[in-house]
Amino acid sequence: MKNEGRGSLIEFQQQLVPTNLQLPDSILSKANQDIQRLADFPTTKSEDFRYTRLIRLNKLQLQTEKSFAPPLVNIAPTTEGIQIVFENGQLVSVVGQHEGVTVQSAQDVPQSQWLACEYKGFVQAMNAVNAQGGVSIEISKQVAVPTSITIIQRWSGKSQAVLLHHQIVLHPFASAHIEWIHEGRAEESFQNLLLDCFLAEGSQLKMDKLQTQEGNSFSFCTERIYQKKQSSFAINTLTFNAFFTRNDLEIFGQEEGTESKMYGVFMGEENNHIDNHTTMNHMAPHSTSNELYKGVLKGKASGVFYGKINVFKDAQKTNAFQSNRNLLLSDDASVNAKPALEIYADDVKCSHGSTTGQLDEKALFYLRSRGISQDRAVQLLLEGFLSEVINEVKNESLRNRVKAYVSVEKA
Amino acid sequence: MLKIKNLHASIDGKAILKGLNLEINPGEVHAIMGPNGAGKSTLASVLAGHESYEITEGEILFEGKDLTALPIEDRAREGLFLAFQYPVEIPGVSNVNFLKTALNEIREYAGLKPLSAKDFLQLVKEKSALVELDSSLATRSVNEGFSGGEKKRNEIFQMAMLNPKLAILDETDSGLDIDALRIVASGVNALKTKENATLVITHYQRLLDYIVPDFVHVLFDGRIVKTGGKDLALELEEKGYDWIKAEHA
Repeated sequence: MKNEGRGSLIEFQQQLVPTNLQLPDSILSKANQDIQRLADFPTTKSEDFRYTRLIRLNKLQLQTEKSFAPPLVNIAPTTEGIQIVFENGQLVSVVGQHEGVTVQSAQDVPQSQWLACEYKGFVQAMNAVNAQGGVSIEISKQVAVPTSITIIQRWSGKSQAVLLHHQIVLHPFASAHIEWIHEGRAEESFQNLLLDCFLAEGSQLKMDKLQTQEGNSFSFCTERIYQKKQSSFAINTLTFNAFFTRNDLEIFGQEEGTESKMYGVFMGEENNHIDNHTTMNHMAPHSTSNELYKGVLKGKASGVFYGKINVFKDAQKTNAFQSNRNLLLSDDASVNAKPALEIYADDVKCSHGSTTGQLDEKALFYLRSRGISQDRAVQLLLEGFLSEVINEVKNESLRNRVKAYVSVEKA
Repeated sequence: MLKIKNLHASIDGKAILKGLNLEINPGEVHAIMGPNGAGKSTLASVLAGHESYEITEGEILFEGKDLTALPIEDRAREGLFLAFQYPVEIPGVSNVNFLKTALNEIREYAGLKPLSAKDFLQLVKEKSALVELDSSLATRSVNEGFSGGEKKRNEIFQMAMLNPKLAILDETDSGLDIDALRIVASGVNALKTKENATLVITHYQRLLDYIVPDFVHVLFDGRIVKTGGKDLALELEEKGYDWIKAEHA
């Protein structure tokens, strides 16, 4: 174990290569300064990492040399939507196209077109300084993309460092559905993925984010969503088998009348640790947010749900609803849930609630008394518990894939 | 079919059943009546296999098998059915999915193939009509948002679907208005055959006007203290339970 005083974050970050993206200089220099200033990974004394210990990251020895050939990019027409595949951080293929949809490698995005202005915390700062590529997707004004755009994030091997920065831009009144699939198995690896979405007036974006990566690796995943007037955003965050996953989802309802929906399911077993942090910023009047996260933990798995709602002074007539419900299937499983509301407007409707409990014994008895085995009864109850979120996944094949992860063995 | 001998059962160390004897044969309808706290619902729970109860003495034979050695689900698969006094709401689990799972697990236990989707839906249609259950209730979550009457009708619908040898109706009349009571009772009567049997547990005589018992037993302080024909129920209705209490105090 390294001495905290020697700069664990700086030492860790020195294993990574400088970014090949053209972020604005001001952002890069501030991010660099932030890392030098922080010097160490945050401890559990910090608000943001109270329930997530980062000390284990010190033990990771990451490969600095990339063993991959330059990206091979295929563009082929297909009727099955657009599919973008990354292998250990390398963009290996783009299949499919649609009029009004521009897909390009993040390396090709000029400095002036990186839209985010503020990078908070060590995860985002590190991404700014060290991201190696990503994808940029732009959807033209009034284009409704009829099929899904799928980004597949596959990893394998050992001691990999995967840092990517994706940017998705929807021009006014555009609409799209994005599937973001994290899959594969990697050992002792590190992942820092940042995805920014910019929703112009009246645009609509639906996202399904499925995290199924296996192996004893560490994954940090950040989404920053910027919403203009009357835009609508909905995400289902579905996390399974995660050895260590930290998700940060932050939404900025920057203008009037935005709608935001954050739904999530997380299931952990053995020593899994799944930390979901969400922040909803209501910055303008007449906006709505709706949040529902459900967790199921067994073995010695631990979960975190931290849901912050900020209602700015001018954001009158805000409706913000947050709910978190967790099931613990063993005595050693645990969840730390914390809602945090900061409300500076006086005409708002906000509610939040969090419950953590065990499987309903009465329901289990009822099901078994009808001839259903214990395992199958538990399965039915879990499916029932999670259905409220899983039924929000509208693509049937993806929904079936998600359902397959909800099994008693995986629970 | 069912033979209970000298059954003693307790919960959290407190004895509830204290030497209960009961024998039920195929084709018979038995009623168990008794004052609150006599052990009526405990008997139903013990028969279904509720794990909170401990059997401290005696035996329960069902079709010659030791029922107490079987887990909850195997009792149902052997042909025992409990209609709950308080049916449980299960959000997110559809009534149809629940019943299909139950029926197919029972069929598998009996060495039968799963029912085809078509045959299953036909059965749902036929059996839900029996208790005038709106077909939309079949696709809703189990008991969720059902009225009291709908819940009880759903119990009898499940009974019709699973076709048990012995059905135990635990206070099925509680919370029912007279119309719902009539529907539930006619459903139960329609399911009656020479091969199956029914055990009606009730506090009031009212249900027995519709489901006519061959035997009426009075349960008091954990034992059956009196057995008679259907007239005994009328006598209890008229005189209450105090005279029973006085006889056995």
